[in-house]
This record gives sequence, structure tokens and C-alpha cells, in this order.
Amino acid sequence: MIGLITRRLLQLPLIVGVIYTLTLTLAWAVPGNPIDNPEGRRPPAAVVEAMLRQYNLDSFPRFYLSYLDNATGTKWVRDQVTGRAAERAAAAAEVGQAVPIRRVFDLGPSLQYEDWGVNQIIQDALPVSIALGAMAMLIAVIIGVGAGVVGAVRPNSVADISTLAVALIGISLPSFVVGTTLLLVFSVWLGWFPVGQWGLRGAVLPAITLSLPFAAYIARLTRMGMLEHLGADFIRTARAKGLPESRVVLKHALKNAFLPVLSYMGPATAMAMTGSFVVERVFTVPGIGQHFVNAVLNKDLFLIMGVVLVYSTMLILFNLTVDVLYRWVDPRIE
Amino acid sequence: MGRLFVPIGLLAAIVIAIIATDRPSPRADFTFINRGDVATLDVQKASWMQDLRVIRMLFEGLVKNDVLDSDYTILPGVAERWEISEDGLTYTFHLRADAFWNVHGKPVAVTAHDFAYAWRRGILPDTASDYAGQFHLIRGGRAFYDWRTQQLDEIAAMPSGAARSDRARALWAVTELKFNEMVGIRAVDDRTFRVELERPTAYFLDLCAFAVFYPVYPPLVRQYELPDPATGRLDQQPGWTMAETIVCNGPFRLDSWRFKREVRLEKNALYWDRDSIAIDSVSIPSNEDPNAQVLAFKSGAIDWVSDVSTPYRRFIVADKLAYYAEHREQYEELLAQGLDPVEIDRRLPPDPRQNIHTFPAFGTYFLNFNCLPKLVDGRDNPFADPRIRRAFAMSVDKERIATKVRGTGERIANTLIPRNSIAGYESPAGLPYDPDAARKLLAEAGYPGGRGFITVEILFNKDAGHDLIAQAAAKDWQENLGVPVLLAQKEIKVFRNDLKNQNFMISRAGWFGDYGDPTTFLDLNRCDDGNNDRKYCSPRYEELMDRAASETDPAKRMAILADAERLVVEEDLPFIPIFQYVQVYLFDPHKVSGISSHPRQQQDLFRIDMLGDGKGSDIPRGLPPGGGDVKRKPPEQQSAKPAEQSIRSRLRPPDLMICRSANVLLSRAAIGGRA
Repeated sequence: MIGLITRRLLQLPLIVGVIYTLTLTLAWAVPGNPIDNPEGRRPPAAVVEAMLRQYNLDSFPRFYLSYLDNATGTKWVRDQVTGRAAERAAAAAEVGQAVPIRRVFDLGPSLQYEDWGVNQIIQDALPVSIALGAMAMLIAVIIGVGAGVVGAVRPNSVADISTLAVALIGISLPSFVVGTTLLLVFSVWLGWFPVGQWGLRGAVLPAITLSLPFAAYIARLTRMGMLEHLGADFIRTARAKGLPESRVVLKHALKNAFLPVLSYMGPATAMAMTGSFVVERVFTVPGIGQHFVNAVLNKDLFLIMGVVLVYSTMLILFNLTVDVLYRWVDPRIE
Repeated sequence: MGRLFVPIGLLAAIVIAIIATDRPSPRADFTFINRGDVATLDVQKASWMQDLRVIRMLFEGLVKNDVLDSDYTILPGVAERWEISEDGLTYTFHLRADAFWNVHGKPVAVTAHDFAYAWRRGILPDTASDYAGQFHLIRGGRAFYDWRTQQLDEIAAMPSGAARSDRARALWAVTELKFNEMVGIRAVDDRTFRVELERPTAYFLDLCAFAVFYPVYPPLVRQYELPDPATGRLDQQPGWTMAETIVCNGPFRLDSWRFKREVRLEKNALYWDRDSIAIDSVSIPSNEDPNAQVLAFKSGAIDWVSDVSTPYRRFIVADKLAYYAEHREQYEELLAQGLDPVEIDRRLPPDPRQNIHTFPAFGTYFLNFNCLPKLVDGRDNPFADPRIRRAFAMSVDKERIATKVRGTGERIANTLIPRNSIAGYESPAGLPYDPDAARKLLAEAGYPGGRGFITVEILFNKDAGHDLIAQAAAKDWQENLGVPVLLAQKEIKVFRNDLKNQNFMISRAGWFGDYGDPTTFLDLNRCDDGNNDRKYCSPRYEELMDRAASETDPAKRMAILADAERLVVEEDLPFIPIFQYVQVYLFDPHKVSGISSHPRQQQDLFRIDMLGDGKGSDIPRGLPPGGGDVKRKPPEQQSAKPAEQSIRSRLRPPDLMICRSANVLLSRAAIGGRA
């Protein structure tokens, strides 16, 4: 286990580095000027040039290295070691300046949201996306496993077929359709949930919308696993011991049938946490998914790279956690 | 088995830890959805309409416009009175004694020095203000900008070393001296602010009411500005605009600003005119999905949607028209009284369709021509010939575009400046739709029946229905002129790039005015204007614009400007005006008052009164009822007068005339820039 963790952690900088290089190359190739607003007055050419220079946006290698330097914290470390940080603070204090906060991992300013740093944006938005994704997975597991068990206990019954139908709808309907419908019915008509307000109540509808495709897949996984195990010898033994059927199904069969669900939950949770762009938009959830898309459209390079670096690191750590958990839950796996 | 529940337990823990601790804030007195998320609250850097709108609530300039008056009268702000010298060059503002900065609850007087500091920020090239050009009207503003830019360029060109860093270090002190010496901005004493202009500028007070000319609190902002010892550039850190740090002098103060979530304002207890504010708190939730905005309004969570932009908005507008049709008699009677459109709604029988409002905006949708002699690919550009441009302009059926393609109550435009939007300005007629005359012109230019004409390409960006308008224009040109037309749809960034490099023949465009003077539109056609994508450059036009600039008689000046506009909309046609933008709003007229229906479409939300909430007068605020013709008075003759008096000046709101004449009732707006 320790070996696995060390190995994966050593791989991390390498993988993130490759992702960084690829993303920056592609983002750099996007036509247009990051300083330009899609609307609004055009600043004078000299101003644009000066800004490009100031942010190193006029040279790919310079941007590539300086961003990496700031984002990985090497610059911060260097400044501490050489004493430049203290020097700068003293100089600022001398003229009555607020000492600018130097972050260890400085992801730079946002070119579009001028008053905000990328660190601040991610700090605000990431927890929201994580919570939304977690809630969606929770709902997906509850609905999915429930439906899967019902379907497996009475295969080809009305209950089985209807859960299959619901699962199909969950997978095939795009989330902006499901989302808008839920919003219209439960928020506008029934008034049960607030519109466009984040919080426990406000999170319910977006989480349900986000959970549906996952719930559908989990239901099918559970049903298949259950069907396979319900016919197995150890279930026959359990029944022969005279155990009540509910215990046979829920304890013995489900325990084994749940393992594939668990392994699916790893990547699925990561996907739910990162892939919520449409849902975030429909329900105006202040998460990070929107920055993925908007930053690319605006060519806000600092924000694109910041989000990509944080996300890829998170994903790698997440997969590692799931792998560790999986081994712990099912010690047979090595 | 127990271990199986661990991952699920983990998920639940995450949800509870994050969501349960995130309490939504309580309902504010007034909640609205802005046109987009606020990008910056830095007074001098802002350029988006949504940013300027919030800045006008947080800060107060020397003067402000009365947005609930048909003439947009200038009202006193921080300046309680002012004098204009006989030659129109020197403005002396006298600041009120009771204007304060709210320094975290402590009042600190707003002084002339604060204005001088803020305006210097606006002029400095280091600030990179989109509106730096507006400060060039001030004596020496342009020269100082150029001087400083040149200094910075010289330092940047020097090899790095001791000489360079010495010069960079010394530059800031020199800059401060140079500014005082070159630029006509002077804090005579704490309460007297004097500005000298390059030349008499009729709309200077209107400009002073524009948010970029508002003050900032120097003891705070200075902490975030430091000359960079390597380049000499003033390094401006963000951060002072956050709720914990910002210091405001306006009707409201910033209570909280959560990124992509909510901007929340509270009434500023230290504001001098606090008694006129009828709401205690304003919430601006972030909501960028057009459909969700409408649903949020319907659920009752939102009091005002400031830009209804869903694809189905034309059906929403059609609902409102149907409602008026149902009450035609009563409606026409109220209309004849010249009432504010919102007031008309209040007097008609209650109906949810009353919540839909369409006002004409201070902006025009048009199509650009590339006026250069050669296209980017080296071919001869037929559109360099004004006759061909005229022919194309006269063969677009604008009426069809306005009613069938847009369908949200737009009025067709034959001029660049929206008609009746500027007091004292008489718009030229422009060119009519006349395919026969157009064909003749085209034949005259050497292309009878469109034979031999190159394939025309219309450049536009996807979204916002530009494709449909381009299709309509293409069809008209193919049918009326017989020229082949291609559509070129591009991503916004590519589109902007192509525009800038003149890589187009014809392209979509739009422009919203910033201040109440024709030059806010007409400067677009100056040879060296940074937003002249058409590269139109006419010595005659330049001459007219220069003459207008030096003309001191306001009426004559307006006439010269009208001649200049006549030149571009009747003879040279560097663009084809298509329609005047409209603004579609959602708000309940029985609940919300104080939203302006004036075609300038600036909304000063500190004028909002929620009806029946027991705060404020609860008497609906809106444009005054009209009577008689629009009296035109040139802007400079306006003087500082108390608010009550100016509201009593009874003029018929221009947009009501629009309603009457074109039977178009309704409508999207922004100030500031391209659409």
C-alpha cells in the first residue's frame, strides 16, 4: 500500500507537467487576444502591448516558465531563501504600502475578472463543485443501488422494466432539459426550492439533475451484479441456513454486487465534480465548471491554467484515494 | 460490510461540511440580475455596463444625471454648485461640506484632492483605462499621456542595468511634477476643484457624471499602487475593491462581494442625501443563464431582470403587445396623456404581462463596410467606392429585419445616433429603402445588374441572432442587386481579430453611447479613432468634426455635428444603420418604481423605491408626464438646480413619441461600447 502511494505521488508532477504543457500549447493557439474584451471599448494599442508585456503574454516560453515558476511555488521558495520577500515587504512598509499577499502557489491574476486572483476564484468555487458532485454521487448511489436491487430481485417484473426505463431516460436526456424541467416544476410552479440560490435547499435540484446519468449506470451495475450473485452457491447456502430473504439479498448478495459500483464511483465522483458545467449554468451554481468553459472562450490564460492545474492534481489524488479505499474495503485485491 | 459504507459516509461528510455551513443571505429590499457579472469595481478601470452601474451606486461624482427626467438634467453630486468661465474653458466646482467617505463607519470629507488623484489615475497610461481618451479633453491630458507613454517606452528599450533602474526609479517623481505642470486639473483648496479644458466642450458636465470620472479614496488606493523599480511603470495591484477594504462615498456601500455568487450593497448611512434613498439593501445575485433569469423572476426571487436575452424573448414581448391590444382604448388614452410607459402599465388592469417592459436603448445595430482600397487578400475592394456602399445600404429591407427577424419592438435606424435621444440635436434623415435607386447606383459604379461583382462576405460572430440578420441582408443584396453573398460566421475572439485587421468586407457591429452628446457616436468615424474598424477616413468629415469642436455656440455646434452625421448616413455610408437596440426588462410596475424608460437607458438604482414597503415616499417615480412638443435645450444652459425643480420641468419624453409614431411600445440597452 505504501509502495502504491509513493509511486503514485512520484508520478504526479510528471503527469501534471504533461497536462500543463499540452493545455498551455492548445490554449495559446486559440486565436485572439486575451486582453481584448468581447465587447466594450478597445484600449489604445500601446496599452495592450504594455499589458501583454507585463503579463509575459508576448512570449510563449517566457509565459510557460514564469507561470510554472509561480504556480508550483518554486518562486516563493526562492524568494524566501534569497530574502527577496522580506526585502520587498520592507520596501513596501517604508512607503506605506499594503504588503501584497504572495501566495506559495500563485496562479496569477484573472484577465477577465480584474479584481480577482485565480487563487481566490478557485478557493471560492472549488468547494461548491466538490459539494455538488458529492451530493450528486450520494443521490446516485441511493437511487441506483435501490433500483438495481429491486430489478434484480424480481427480474423482468414491472418494477424492473420501469427502473430500466427511468435509467435509460437518465442516461439519454441532456442535463439542460432535465434541469430546466425540474426548475420549472419544483421551483417555479411548486415553489419548493429557491431559484438561483446556493445553499442546502438550493443544491437539491442541481444535485438530482447531475446524479441521474450516474444513478442510471449504478442501477444497471447493481442489477447485473445482484443477478450474478443471487444464483451463486453461497446464496443457496445462506437460504438453506434459513436466513430471511431480506438478509440474504441485502447482506450477502449486495455486499458482493456493490464492489463494481465502488470501483465505478471513483472516476464517477471525479466526473461529477468536474463535469457540472451545464448544470451549474442552468441552476446558477457558483461552481468551477463554468470557469473551465468561460475561461477558454475568453482566452483568460491564467484562469485556464490555474483551473487545469488544480483539477488535474485533484483528479490524480482522488483516483489514488479511491484505489486505497478499494483495497481496504476488499482486501482480496492486490 | 461496514467498510462498504465508508466511501458513502465520506461523501455525506463532504456535503454536510461544505453546504450546511454555506448559509444564503436574507432577502434584500431590492434584488436584481445585472447584465453580467461584475468584473471590476475599480472606478477608473471599469468599462462594462454592469460594472459602471454598480460603481454609480457606490461612488458619487461631482455631478450626476437625472435619469428620471426627459432631459437628463445635470444634478449636483459632490459638487453643490459650479461656475463655467465665459470662454467655456474653465470649470470651477465647489464641493459640499457634507460629502463624506465612509471609512469603515468613520466619515472623512471628500476633497478636491481626491478628484485630482482619481482623474490622474484615469489619465495615466499605466491604468490602461478603456476611457483614457475621455480625459484628453482636459488641457494637457493628451500631451501628458503621450509624454508618460514615451518615457515608459524609452525605459523599456534601455538595456537592463544601473542606468535603467536609476531612471525608472526617478520617473515617478518627475511624472508627478509633469502632471501638475501640464494638466489642467487643480485642487485649489479642499473644497474647490478647477478643471481647464483644451477647448469648450458642451458635454463636459455630462462627462463628469460618467462613472470613470468619479473619485477614489487616495489613502486606500495609494497602498495598492507602487512604481515598479525595474520599468518605472506604476504597478497597480487589485484588492482594494473587496468588501473588507473598499471605501465609498456614494449612496450605498459594499456589504459583501462573493465571486460569481452575489454582490450585496447596504445603504450608506454617511451619504449626504441619504434621506432620498428608499431602499436599505440591494442584492445582485450572479445568474448568467438567460432562461434561468426568467424563471428566477417568475419564482418571485428577483425584482428586476435587467437584460432579458433568451431566444424566446420575442414571444415574451408579443405577450405584452397582445395585452395592450386587449385594452387598446384605455391604453391609447393613457398614451395620449404622455405618461411614462411604466405609469401606463400601473393604470391598466392588473395582469402578469405588465411585468414585461421594452424600452428603446441608446445604441444602434449596424453593418460595417471595409473602406480600405484593398482587401486583406490583396484584391481590389469594391466597397472603397461610396456609391456602392450607398447602393448596398439602400437595398436592405430594415423593416423586415426589425419586425420579422428581431421582433422585439426595435425601430429601424437610418442614422447612427438614436433619434430623439440627445436634447438639442436634430438627426438627419438618412437613406430610405429604395432598391431601384440602389440598382442605378450600382450600374453607375460599373456593375449593372450586379454583373462582375465579387462574392461578398458578411462577417459576424455566432450567438445573439447575428446569423439571422446576416441572412436577411444577404437575401436582400442577392435579390435586389444581383450580387453573390456568402456568410462567414466566426467565434467572437476570431471575429474581433478579423475586425481589427480589416479582414472583412462587411461585418456586423453595434455601438452604445456613453454620454449625452453626438460625439459619443460620431467620433467612431474619425480617421485615428481606435474603434474605427471601417478605416473610413474623410477629410470633409474631419473638417466638420474639428469645426464643431471649436464652435462655441451650442446650437451651431449641434448643427455642424448633424451635418457630419448627414455626410456619413446619406453620402459616404461607412456603415449601414439597421435598427435601434431595445432593452427588455422584467419587473412588476406595482412593486418597483424608479427604473428609467429614457432612451439613454442609464439606471441609477439609488432612485429605486419599492412601492408599499413603508420606506421612502412609495409614490411611483418615473419620467414626468409630457405635454406639447419636446423642448430642446442645449446642455450647457443647464445649471445646478435642486432636484425638485428639475423634475418639474414638463417635457414630453422622447421615447413616448417613438411609441406613438411607430406604434412600437417596447424594448435592450447598455451604455458603453460595442454590442
